[in-house]
Amino acid sequence: MLLYILKRVVSAISVVVVTLVASFALFFLAPTDPAGTICGTRCNADRLAEIRSSLGLDEPPIEQIGGYMKGILVGRDYTTSGVVQHCDAPCLGYSYTLGQPVTKLLAQALPVTVSIVLGGAVVYLFFGVLFGTLSAQRRGGTLDRALIGSSIVINSIPYFVVAVLVALYVTVLPHSEYHPLLSNPLLWASGLVAAWLTLGLTNAAAYTRYSRASMIESLGQDFVRTARSKGISERRVVYRHGLRAALTPVVTIFGIDLAGQLTGAIFTEQIFGLPGIGVLTLRAFNQYDLPVLMGCVLLGSVVLVVMNLVVDIVYTVLDPRVRLG
Amino acid sequence: MACPTEVIHRVERLSTRGKSPTAIAFARLRTDRVAVICGSIFLFFVLIAIFAPLLAKLEGQSPTAYHQELVDDYGFPTIGPTSGHWFGVEPRLGRDLFARWVYGSRPSLIVATSVTVITSLLGVVVGLVAGFAGGWTDRILSWVIDFVLSLPYLLFAIAVPAVLLSIFVGPADGASVDQVSRVRFISLILVLSLFGWAGLARLIRGEVLSLREREFIAAARVLGVPTSKVLFKELLPNLVAPIVVSTSMALPSYIVVEAGLTYLGVGLTEPTPSWGVTISAAQSFYRADPLYLWLPVLGITVLVVALSLLGDSVRDAFDPRTRR
Repeated sequence: MLLYILKRVVSAISVVVVTLVASFALFFLAPTDPAGTICGTRCNADRLAEIRSSLGLDEPPIEQIGGYMKGILVGRDYTTSGVVQHCDAPCLGYSYTLGQPVTKLLAQALPVTVSIVLGGAVVYLFFGVLFGTLSAQRRGGTLDRALIGSSIVINSIPYFVVAVLVALYVTVLPHSEYHPLLSNPLLWASGLVAAWLTLGLTNAAAYTRYSRASMIESLGQDFVRTARSKGISERRVVYRHGLRAALTPVVTIFGIDLAGQLTGAIFTEQIFGLPGIGVLTLRAFNQYDLPVLMGCVLLGSVVLVVMNLVVDIVYTVLDPRVRLG
Repeated sequence: MACPTEVIHRVERLSTRGKSPTAIAFARLRTDRVAVICGSIFLFFVLIAIFAPLLAKLEGQSPTAYHQELVDDYGFPTIGPTSGHWFGVEPRLGRDLFARWVYGSRPSLIVATSVTVITSLLGVVVGLVAGFAGGWTDRILSWVIDFVLSLPYLLFAIAVPAVLLSIFVGPADGASVDQVSRVRFISLILVLSLFGWAGLARLIRGEVLSLREREFIAAARVLGVPTSKVLFKELLPNLVAPIVVSTSMALPSYIVVEAGLTYLGVGLTEPTPSWGVTISAAQSFYRADPLYLWLPVLGITVLVVALSLLGDSVRDAFDPRTRR
């Protein structure tokens, strides 16, 4: 068991390190000229050389990536026109266009993305499990057919199209904007409600199908028959006994989904104008802001890898059969 | 849901003659009403894409010609759908909406089809090799598969074109619009292919691991059949079902990804007529010119829903256990 976890942790770290080196090579060592982009149109050779050296672009590639890694682990110093600026660990450099540390930009954007994704998750888990259970109870009936039929169609409509239409036409929902949770919880919730409902209700379609399948299986088990034969009310059989067993596979899918959504909330963020990681990546793309782009990609990889690791380990603890594999 | 006796009769009818599993699956697919309707819708869009120039000529318009005379001083079109412009014209530039719509179906289908073909080929080859070779080859390839699957691919899909663009066309401001749109087209296909093959490779590897222990493979090896022939003549025919199923599921998802990235401004760019570009431009005119927004929205929604339902039917046809 311990060996299994250790093996998974080592492989997770190797993935993150390779991502770091590969994306560094891609972004910083490709024949691009960020210094020229920053320098702009009124540029002369002296100014260009100064920008190059302040960005460390005049050093050999190995030293550049060494410096970047050192920055992440212990922090590093930047010298701009004789002024030394210290960047604390984990240091991912400075944004070319905003002049702020990348870590600070990421720290501002992350809560927005997490708020959207977690709020949406509450909505789709609630409705998905509810509809799935109702559907499984009335298997083959009108309600079941209606729920499953509409969930199949909703699931195949492109998500960004739904989000665009909701943002344009559903005007009853409060205006979308981000307020930090701690400063005003009410404003925080009302600014995010449109995004939560859109993300939640479209994803609920998929979760309705997962929970229905899982519920049908668990209602066919012996312990449910035993519970029924003891004369426990049908509602209690379904919601206490059946649902509890049916939830494990749903929670596993949820764990894997959550990681994907944290790095894929970009459409929700962009369409509802919420300044999360996705919007930060897009802005960095449009302004050719390599350190920010690199920071977003790295953060995304770490989130994905860590989430997958957690799901795997939790699953091994919950289900002893997996351990053999 | 079909009634049980009907299913049994159908299965009996199908299994009396010696048919290959693929032939049986296609026979099942032909009797599936949803599959036939969705397949026809898909075919309809393919025909539109192929005959886009002809359709535009029939209307007498081109997707790139400006009609400033049909747009008022505020950029709003002065005409609705007419005999000259079947769906009216675009706000601001006054380009013909029908011509742009029929041409707009092309990039979606071209990008999605090429990516599906490339990822399927790559996934099958890597999966076959990893599963069949075993040992260190398998260990390395499996690590690469896991690695690719654990990358945040949307973020990469945004970041990589930025780098490719600067490699192929140099500084951003020096490139012509046509050059940029061509590089964007190729880099979109490249990036999606780079991240798309791993899922299928993992699936195929698993199948091969169990198939290679079967008698017919052992027999072929004892007879001295060369490895490449064992791979492609013995193993591959047994992998048709997972390959066809995953391909039919992949196609609609790549159409969505193409349109989505294009909508975000990181996929295809003007002047390529594309539904994603149009949706993003039409958002600000949704009240004044609803047709401008709804044409591409309906186009992409109908195409993707039809393809997804077709994909579900294909899966059911190849694997009756998943029948709803």
